[in-house]
Amino acid sequence: MKLMDKLQILADSAKYDVSCSSSGSSRSNRPGGVGNASLPGICHSWADDGRCISLLKVLFTNVCIYDCKYCVNRSSNDVRRASFTPDELCELTIQFYRRNYIEGLFLSSAVIRSPDYTMELMIKALRKLRHEYRFNGYIHIKSIPGADMRLVHEAGSLADRMSINIELPSVSGLKLLAPQKDPASILEPMGYVRERIMESRELVLYKKPQPFVPAGQSTQLIVGATRDSDLKILTLTEHLYRRYQLKRVYYSAYVPVNDDRNLPSVNTSPPLLREHRIYQADWLLRFYGFKAGELLDEGHPNLDTHLDPKCDWALRHLDQFPVEINKAPLEMLLRVPGIGYRMAAKIIRARRVGPLGFEDLKRMRVVLKRARYFITCNGRYYGGIDLDSGLLYQLLSDKTDSKVMAGQISMFG
Amino acid sequence: MVYVTDGSFEGILTAVFEAFRNREDPEEITLGGDFQLSMTAGIREISTDTEKSDRVWRGVESKISKESLENLYMAYLSEHPRVGLYIYRYIKLGLNIGRKVEGYLQHPDVHAIYDLSRRVGSEAHLFLGILRFKKLRNGVFYACYEPDNNITRLITDHFASRLSDQAWIIHDRKRDILALFNGEEVIFTSGFPGIDHEDCEGEYEELWKRYFSAIAIESRKNPRLQRSFMPRRYWRHLPEKQL
Repeated sequence: MKLMDKLQILADSAKYDVSCSSSGSSRSNRPGGVGNASLPGICHSWADDGRCISLLKVLFTNVCIYDCKYCVNRSSNDVRRASFTPDELCELTIQFYRRNYIEGLFLSSAVIRSPDYTMELMIKALRKLRHEYRFNGYIHIKSIPGADMRLVHEAGSLADRMSINIELPSVSGLKLLAPQKDPASILEPMGYVRERIMESRELVLYKKPQPFVPAGQSTQLIVGATRDSDLKILTLTEHLYRRYQLKRVYYSAYVPVNDDRNLPSVNTSPPLLREHRIYQADWLLRFYGFKAGELLDEGHPNLDTHLDPKCDWALRHLDQFPVEINKAPLEMLLRVPGIGYRMAAKIIRARRVGPLGFEDLKRMRVVLKRARYFITCNGRYYGGIDLDSGLLYQLLSDKTDSKVMAGQISMFG
Repeated sequence: MVYVTDGSFEGILTAVFEAFRNREDPEEITLGGDFQLSMTAGIREISTDTEKSDRVWRGVESKISKESLENLYMAYLSEHPRVGLYIYRYIKLGLNIGRKVEGYLQHPDVHAIYDLSRRVGSEAHLFLGILRFKKLRNGVFYACYEPDNNITRLITDHFASRLSDQAWIIHDRKRDILALFNGEEVIFTSGFPGIDHEDCEGEYEELWKRYFSAIAIESRKNPRLQRSFMPRRYWRHLPEKQL
């Protein structure tokens, strides 16, 4: 098979994996080597679906022994199958890299023969890329559930980031749609990798560091293939950030690829808006000091698709508003709808120099569309409405869903 | 008074020096000789003097901050027609209130510098990603681009350490600026006509285009989102956006 065809097949079957991040690693180049890693990460292009392309994201092979119902590569599907040779993969990565198409490689794979066998093939290719091709750019490897910890360890010492996809947010979902996968085989390596990362950081203190996934680990959850609520998803997310110290949890609106009575029908369009709201909530958990239990509870288990989760929270906590822009601590500024991290930082810097009026905020290009209802400047309120009047829901809800999607910040970076 | 400079950063700093010495507030500090004549204002020709500009440079560094100096330089690279004036007013204010000026974002001139320098910085970051090299038949890698801001000097270090074992050229065709890397150092020059298509090999470009189309999910198509990250004006030099 020609390389062009292989690339087509193995990129096409890797595209449902969301992660494309190339951040978190500062691996440097060596004399005679190619590449380095950039700490904040670099996007190299944006595909027609608007998702960033940072890494060459391919499967090593799409030949699979498993028959997971939600997956396009399930063994019972009649799709074209292909596998790279290690040299083909290395050459593609290096040549793309030299032309500045990519930041590195994201290698995943279907499970060929056995998890261990698959993992060994991937490691062999990575070893070649690092040592023979002297590649020092970013590598993200997908760990195969069920593989031996020795192999997980070896992969981790070659890669910058490792991920193991949870895919389905609940054990019942996993049993229903991926009966051949054992839930423990996903969480066990996650725990193992976390231990090794902590260990490698301790070692740095007194001997030459042996880098082990310096950019940390991540995972992915599919949204909308099962009936799991947003509360369930966000609670799991919170647990993953806390217990396993994941760098990122990615969400993927389920794109129906197979007909099955346990799945949404093939004509269903992917729940993009729901995915968008979950990303917003994820941001609130990671950077804005929110807890999952503040955003959702049993009586309110799903995010409102018409409101961003921060607005939704604020509407249920009107007693805490309006806040005085010149006095509110950072934590509270961050809870004001429409004020993001960058704006909050700007406000704090500026008010140290002098008090801020409404016009000053405008001049500083603080977006006041939503924030104006929730703040005062030097004691004056500019929202023009009575906070308790019940008008806010109307004023804050998104008129058109497409607008939300086009205006979203980089969720995939 | 309109101060006419040669458009260099040193030229603008010299103008700042002259304004202080003459105790006058210029109405305009130009970037080069191409500017709108005013009926009322007189013209002062500024001849760049590195001794004067160095004094301003060091003054900003020591009496305001290093960060301010960096921001002023970044803002300068935007080539915004009023940037000379913003720089002058920022420095004047900064010499008064010290490094606090950095955070004085409610002040229009400070915000203008902040805004321009961020615009330049983010375009430079974008091009670390979307600059594309073509491999020429002679083995040299050649990248052509037309950035909004004059960012070539901001991005060459990155490529010199990353692609350190290949010879490359980065060509800002809009400004006729050329950065050459020979494996050792980056040399800046100008006067380059560009490269003919026949001089480039195309095999990996074809593979890249194929990859680009295979990786998009059809049912999530979102051209607006794509353009918001990667504006159309940059597409000319992106092989994946050529049909």
